[in-house]
Amino acid sequence: MQSNLVDFIQVLRSHDIRVSPAETLDAVGVTTTLGYSDRNLLRDGLAMTLAKTPAEEVIFLDCFDRFFQQDLADFSSSDMPSDQDENKDLDSTDDTAAQTEDFSDSQLSALELASEKNPSLESLLQTPLMQNLLNNNRNELTLAINAAAQRVDLQKIQMFTQKGQFTRRILDAMGEEQIRNAVIELERAESPALAVLQRYRDILRQQVRDYVEREYLLHAEGKTQQFMDDILSKTRLNNIEHIYLHKVHELIRKMAKKLASRHSHKRRRLKRGQLNMAKTLRKGIPNDGVMFNTFWRQVKKEKPQILAVCDVSGSVAAYSKFLLLFLYSLQDILPKVRSFAFSSHLGEVSTYFDDYPVEKAIELVNWKYGGATDYGNSLMDFSKLALDDINSNTTVIILGDARNNNGDPKLDILQSIFQRARQVIWLNPESRRAWGSGDSEMLRYQSACHFTAECNNLKQLEHIVDQLLKRTR
Amino acid sequence: MHTQHFPQLESVELIEQGFESFGYICSRKIATAVFLAFQLRKPILIEGPPGVGKTELAKTIALLLDTPLIRLQCYEGLDEAKALYEWKYGKQLLYTQVLKEKLGDLLQGATGLAESVEKLHQFGDIFYSEEFLEPRPLLKAMQQEKGAILLIDEVDKSDYEFESLLLEILSDYQISIPEIGTVKARTTPMVFLTSNNTRDISDALKRRCLHLYIPFPTVELEERIIRSRVPDVNEQLRHQLVGFVHSLRQLDLKKAPAISETIDWARSLVLLHANQLEEELVRSTLNVLLKYEEDIEATDNELRGLLSTSSSDTRTG
Repeated sequence: MQSNLVDFIQVLRSHDIRVSPAETLDAVGVTTTLGYSDRNLLRDGLAMTLAKTPAEEVIFLDCFDRFFQQDLADFSSSDMPSDQDENKDLDSTDDTAAQTEDFSDSQLSALELASEKNPSLESLLQTPLMQNLLNNNRNELTLAINAAAQRVDLQKIQMFTQKGQFTRRILDAMGEEQIRNAVIELERAESPALAVLQRYRDILRQQVRDYVEREYLLHAEGKTQQFMDDILSKTRLNNIEHIYLHKVHELIRKMAKKLASRHSHKRRRLKRGQLNMAKTLRKGIPNDGVMFNTFWRQVKKEKPQILAVCDVSGSVAAYSKFLLLFLYSLQDILPKVRSFAFSSHLGEVSTYFDDYPVEKAIELVNWKYGGATDYGNSLMDFSKLALDDINSNTTVIILGDARNNNGDPKLDILQSIFQRARQVIWLNPESRRAWGSGDSEMLRYQSACHFTAECNNLKQLEHIVDQLLKRTR
Repeated sequence: MHTQHFPQLESVELIEQGFESFGYICSRKIATAVFLAFQLRKPILIEGPPGVGKTELAKTIALLLDTPLIRLQCYEGLDEAKALYEWKYGKQLLYTQVLKEKLGDLLQGATGLAESVEKLHQFGDIFYSEEFLEPRPLLKAMQQEKGAILLIDEVDKSDYEFESLLLEILSDYQISIPEIGTVKARTTPMVFLTSNNTRDISDALKRRCLHLYIPFPTVELEERIIRSRVPDVNEQLRHQLVGFVHSLRQLDLKKAPAISETIDWARSLVLLHANQLEEELVRSTLNVLLKYEEDIEATDNELRGLLSTSSSDTRTG
């Protein structure tokens, strides 16, 4: 049972619940204390050690129900409506629910009759699998499927494309081949028992398919998700298809949250607090106990300040969508982010992000500030709006390709920002080799930045923001 | 460090009964959490909206077990000098004065500096010792002979640094004092932390605790709570008022009324000799349930509808 618990924890992990080894030990402690007799008690107990937020608890309950589900697979042939139809067509026997008992008897006798002429069918009828099927022995069959699944390592299923393969393997492990062979022989002999045997085969197949489907949802759904996330975060942003947008949004939100929780409480400013009596005393000892110097408890006060400026012009349209998404998420999480957008002129968009849901906000920003790029003009707007607020605690992030349509780059403004701010960071979606080519002013702007980087997929974006937040500590 | 055994906490059912005898009606989940916390010697981190009985839970356990309840209210800027321990500076100062006077006697017969220093070292140093230690709540909880209930209230209001301070206490039940060494708990205290979820608690802290989320109660549970807390309310009124509060929680309010508000309201209705809910009565006592002017206004408009649904509930129920 303990290995069962470990399997369950694996499942939780694949569904984005972080469970540490220490928590696994706690969970084992819980199970030994509570025992397995009361399902609800055990569920609540495990939830307390394994799920740490209300949101995680919802996922936990879902996984728990699926993992420890108790209903047995249903092999009774009679209560499957589709099968009944088949029977009507093929056997043309009278097939009402009241008569199913007689019916399965008649099926059995039909099979036995056929087996007299057919040795392979006869031996098949003796196998435990077929016996269980004929008697609708659900416990035994469910156990058999479980055992077969164990043998073929169904738990390692990763992708939905493997479902067919695993179904086949389980069927083989259960000895379905014998049924298949018998069916072929009956087909050759054109025996009337053919339809009956075929039906049992189909029932078995259906049950195994359902079983694999369930297990897939349990074990692999999370993994497929992780795989997807992994791929998406490494794809160049302008190549991501529109249909994945909502996925990317979710991913970016996660990323921003991770970054924020890692860094938000680390940028602080010190403030004089209460008198530190202990230290004052201790430092007074050399002066014969006279408290000559006073020492204060420093109260730390949080004050993060980030100004983010994003180019939304046509040349970087494919990227700006994601950059805006990232800004949006960052603003949701860090308390003091101001966001600006520009192409020919610049304006603050923090209020859009605060007031509207993300799609609407991005649409509004694009509509209001989209157009041909003019970095010089935009920098001028920016300095008017925000230069007074920039001090040694400020980090300025600029997202853009620095393609200025051969206009005046107004480098002096960026330089004045550079001198005031703690950090100026430029993230450019173009690869470093393209910087400075054509109308790109990147090389000139680079001289007035503390840090420049190429940034065209989510992994890079996360890495860079992580770095920059570390530096602003 | 030894552990106290309480027959009151031997099983989940016993805990439920024990709580009920002190007027705390709890769900199965809460009783399970307490049972596990006691069996596994782990702190419980209780989350949930304000007023659902998070603090009350700790108080009730202290009553049930007849152990002292030591409460630490967290707030921004709470530091170790207020939570763990502080030195008695005044006395320490006096001690140095006394020591200075005695110095002559102490060093008598010593010749040369080296010998004097050696003599000084032989003299027991009690400047930093337990005698001059002023215990604050956390240290006090460790020092209790017969165990204690330690309630760390609203831990989400404290700073991140304070959370790290708690880690040692929560996992090993000990406190490190640089000048003295580690102080281990004489008897493991039962620790309860409460949080209103105003910010995320760090993973390190969460990992050390059982996690218990107390939501608003179901209608049946809340009726049982009212019956036990305000026995004077007749059955019809109880049913009506709980139904009304539940329909209030469905509205978009700034602060939904919690159990404590329901209890207060039931008490005020008893004082006003009400036998059933009437529109005028509800209107005039709404301020007991709702704490924001906007909420009261929003509810006022829908009062008639809310009352008719909650009374029709009574009929069908």
